[in-house]
Amino acid sequence: MDHGHEHGHVPGLNHQYEDMAQQSDTYIVGMWSFLASEVMFFGALFFIYTLYRWNYQHDFYVAHEHLDVRLGAINTTVLLFSSFTMVMAVQSAQLKERIRVMGYLAVTVVCACIFLTIKYFEYKSKFEDHLYPGLSFADDAVKAFGNHALENGHVAVNMNHAQMFYGLYFGMTGLHGLHVLVGIGILLSLIRLWYNRANTVIHDYVPTEMVGLYWHFVDLVWIFLFPLFYLMPLPH
Amino acid sequence: MANPAASHSHEHHIVSTGTYFLTLVKLICLMVLTVWIASFNLPKIGPISGTVVNQVAALAIALLKAYLVVTIFMGVKFGTKLIKLWASIGFIWVLLIFTILGDYTTRHFEPAVGWDGAAESALPREAPEDPAMPKPNDLNLKIRQ
Repeated sequence: MDHGHEHGHVPGLNHQYEDMAQQSDTYIVGMWSFLASEVMFFGALFFIYTLYRWNYQHDFYVAHEHLDVRLGAINTTVLLFSSFTMVMAVQSAQLKERIRVMGYLAVTVVCACIFLTIKYFEYKSKFEDHLYPGLSFADDAVKAFGNHALENGHVAVNMNHAQMFYGLYFGMTGLHGLHVLVGIGILLSLIRLWYNRANTVIHDYVPTEMVGLYWHFVDLVWIFLFPLFYLMPLPH
Repeated sequence: MANPAASHSHEHHIVSTGTYFLTLVKLICLMVLTVWIASFNLPKIGPISGTVVNQVAALAIALLKAYLVVTIFMGVKFGTKLIKLWASIGFIWVLLIFTILGDYTTRHFEPAVGWDGAAESALPREAPEDPAMPKPNDLNLKIRQ
């Protein structure tokens, strides 16, 4: 399926484009349009977070103390590193080094799996402490962070507000995790295309770059989720 | 378009491995920095409370990290003007969303029944009480007991 055959001299160029520069621009602008919709989507969630954090600072602070900063920091590092391996895959695609592309993409997939594994253990510990929104939240959350909250000189926690924190935590990190999961699927498909020497990818690096843009976007969301959920300052 | 054959010859910019690696190092340093700063309760600056100073510091670092990812890793810095414009649109939209805060900061949150410990709503609401359901306030403030 080589659409470029009408322009025999330019492999990888689809017939509706004048030249490779126009095709590349179209691809990238299309990808950024999609990413803009993703930014709007996550932006609304960040707004909701800001609003409730603003109003329920104290309760959010107490609730956030149950998150593990070390695991969050490790996950941030893993994602930043995976972004690096992703750009290296794109650079290798520009240089048409097929084996290196597949290698870097494989490392990126491994990083994504490490991220989700750590996330799984974080979620698991929250579920064991019953720190998820639901009817039993208030009773169980007291057991989970009641004494801890008192140790820090906090008087009382409004359980509805604490529940709101966990609603946002699971909602936003869950949605982000879903994007990582989808990313793994896309990366594996891309590796398969490179493995099969598909025309879509070997003559033109831009499809690989588009997957890269998606992957960096996932990293971008986490860059904001990490300080907002794990590094909340003590109200002082 | 002038000459399709001439313009297809490798006009794309290949960024060196060194640049990418340096960006990664910067990003990881910023990550360590943000965790380190968060371990302090920063002092208040004038009328701005220390909490806000801490939060602004954390978000400033996050923005710097985001800037590095968007410009270098996502290649916007090396892209055409059209790509630069398109890449900024989503972020401008987020800024617009946050103008809604102007409304929230100039008015009080309307208290929700049984949510903020408020007995009644600011406006009359016709919510029939269901005796089978626990009263939300009964679940609140357990620690105080």
